[in-house]
Amino acid sequence: MPRKKPEAFLPLKSHWFHILLSLLEGEQHGYGIMLEVLERSGGKVRLWPATLYGSLKRLIKEGLIAESGERPAPELDDARRRYYKLTALGQRVLDLETDRLKQLVRILQAKRKQEAQS
Amino acid sequence: MNFWVSSCQRIYRGLARAFPYEFRMICGDGLERLGEDMVPRVWQQWGIVGIVRLLADIALCLPYEYLSTWIAKLTEDTVIEDLLEGTWKGNKEKSKWDPKYTPEEAYLRFEATDTGYILFAYGIKDGQAVAERPRPIFPDGKRRPVVDLNGRPIPGVPPGAMAYGSRPDPYTIEGWVEADGKVLGGGTYKISEDGNTLTVTSEGMGMKGPFKVVAVLTESSVIPTHPLLKGRIKRDHLLTLDSRYIAGRLEPCFYNKFDGRMAVYEIRDPGEGEAAEAEQS
Repeated sequence: MPRKKPEAFLPLKSHWFHILLSLLEGEQHGYGIMLEVLERSGGKVRLWPATLYGSLKRLIKEGLIAESGERPAPELDDARRRYYKLTALGQRVLDLETDRLKQLVRILQAKRKQEAQS
Repeated sequence: MNFWVSSCQRIYRGLARAFPYEFRMICGDGLERLGEDMVPRVWQQWGIVGIVRLLADIALCLPYEYLSTWIAKLTEDTVIEDLLEGTWKGNKEKSKWDPKYTPEEAYLRFEATDTGYILFAYGIKDGQAVAERPRPIFPDGKRRPVVDLNGRPIPGVPPGAMAYGSRPDPYTIEGWVEADGKVLGGGTYKISEDGNTLTVTSEGMGMKGPFKVVAVLTESSVIPTHPLLKGRIKRDHLLTLDSRYIAGRLEPCFYNKFDGRMAVYEIRDPGEGEAAEAEQS
């Protein structure tokens, strides 16, 4: 089955966008993703466990993220935790979604400017 | 820990363990452990409202995950396997090759794309590895300019030439090229009802003049037996012979897909009997 093109994922679901963004800087486990999203959004976006893992499952199936084979040393973290990482497709989709959002903001700003002038 | 928290943890654990097997295969026990870790924290921060929210999340996701798993299974069961996709090997006895284009070994590989297929034609002729330029086939009836996979014009193809194709039935696809309203060539690819044989009827104008070929091919996972590759390619790897631009010339090379990577073997100097691994990506 051919894999979807990156454009086919746009517009990206809000939860998916937050998860991909959390994996941008490196591998992360479920709890880490949840905390980062909560912190980044100033407590406004809370990914509850089932929603988070449901999204992780779908992101893996679509090839946007993958489970990392590497585990931290047992003294540093719980070795049973599963870590997730961004794939090349996930990175591309994130870039495209970022561009799309930037474009939307540009349009909005241009409209406001136009309204202010008139 | 109060009675409330431990009771909620028990309920949560029960719900997490009731998730479909397919879900737990992918997510492991992460869902169960994350929720259990969160219960005391949620209780401290939001009290009963937080606990209700946490349990509502998992209780609502549970039927959704079952539904999604059943739909995925149903889709898998009902999707018809693409009969054309894969590698086909020419049967010399059953095929009628044009005398000008008779190979010792011939392979066709169809790779499915969103809009149709990419066709790789390669083989051995006069002891040399040969490959045609990979070309797309769009069996959707739309006309498209004849260009290579990079969108560049193909030498020898008249300007303005358009390609089009159709799928008259699930076992057959057709692809044609025309210019100025005149058909220049094309072919029909027909799979037998048992799915084991592909018959290609192709005619048109080649570099050495007009040709007509009826090739009979059987589904194959066998890699080409080119002497240059002896001992270099593992048989379970998926090998395709392709062509690529090397120093401005189109040269045959072998692509070897495995483990999600692609190794490219350029045939640098057939006289030296060496297929060199050029790059990996």
